[in-house]
Amino acid sequence: MKSKITTIMMVLLAAFITLGGTTSCKSKKRLAREAAEAEYKSKVEQAVKDLNAILDDETLWTLEEKEARVKTIKDWNLQNAEVDDLLFQVEKKLARERAQKEEEERNKQEAQSANATLERNFASIARSGSVSQANRTINETLGLFESPNVPVLIIINQSAGFNDYDRPTTIEKYLNYLKDQKISPNKVHEIKYNANGKINELELIKK
Amino acid sequence: MKKIIATLVIALCVVGSAMAQDELSYERKQAIDSLALEKVRDLSKYIKIVGSKETPFSEANRVIDRAEELFMSDAEIGVSSLGSNQITYYRVRKYFEHLMRLNYDRVEIEWYNIEYVSDLQRQPDGTYVGVITIFQTFRGYDKEGNLTYKDTTKKDITVYVKRKETQIGGRTIGFWDVLLGDMRVKETTNR
Repeated sequence: MKSKITTIMMVLLAAFITLGGTTSCKSKKRLAREAAEAEYKSKVEQAVKDLNAILDDETLWTLEEKEARVKTIKDWNLQNAEVDDLLFQVEKKLARERAQKEEEERNKQEAQSANATLERNFASIARSGSVSQANRTINETLGLFESPNVPVLIIINQSAGFNDYDRPTTIEKYLNYLKDQKISPNKVHEIKYNANGKINELELIKK
Repeated sequence: MKKIIATLVIALCVVGSAMAQDELSYERKQAIDSLALEKVRDLSKYIKIVGSKETPFSEANRVIDRAEELFMSDAEIGVSSLGSNQITYYRVRKYFEHLMRLNYDRVEIEWYNIEYVSDLQRQPDGTYVGVITIFQTFRGYDKEGNLTYKDTTKKDITVYVKRKETQIGGRTIGFWDVLLGDMRVKETTNR
């Protein structure tokens, strides 16, 4: 009898341990699933918030920071219709911004290159050893301009946001001035181009 | 009586305020002082180029056009020589044509000590007027390269600086127009 009771007790204990363990494992899985769901929800909310902010230009992020944010959101692979739609719109917007930025960079580089070319030619004309050599550089430089009569403005002073200019001249006269005076006293301040890429206004400033 | 005094006070305030607005800052005044001096230095180079027998005729004529643009339309340039007490005044183009025809095989002209003897002063019409003095050494050589004539002349040039406006590329540009007036001979020596 005693042996039977002991066996029953053992069976009950084993059943209790088994059932208890199963319940605990199920609870852990549920918690993990809930945590994952919460994390997913949080990521979706964050993604929607960030993408809308980018779309509405409500961030102070640089283009590179915005692109990095989009990459992070894409890497989350949220598979959420709203996020996917926003990502599509934001990627289109950032592509436009990237193209615009690259064009600005290109224009800036071209302007710097034009500035350098003009200043190099100005110095070369002023340093020329002969009239014929100076005239060759003058003709070469005039080729960059819409016409020999393109106006040249020379800033003699800048103060309180106000420019004082010398009497305006033309590019042909200015290049000959460099040849005659044998000095190049001004540097390029601003260049304006026509639709054909020829310079149609030049602003110089005293060095 | 009180009304008259009040009116006078208001009028004086308005005039004073307008005059204050016309006052140039030190920096801007310096800039136009330098600009006027630069025009005189430009002229010295033009005289040197036209005087040089090595300058091609077409270049000399182009330079005379540029030099004429530096002057007021009725300006005259005085010419003196050691052999005469007379000073002859020429219109600008005539002066340069005379310079081109000088009977030497080689000519050297140097300007130095270019400075203000009378600072630019604002006139009632808004023009700034000043006088710049220069010293010019002239040397003429014959075909053997011998120095046959030399003199040094002190000359005073009146300069006029006026603010003007022009339209460029659809915008109004305010600029300082520097014009040279008469160039008067003050002294000629054989130094």
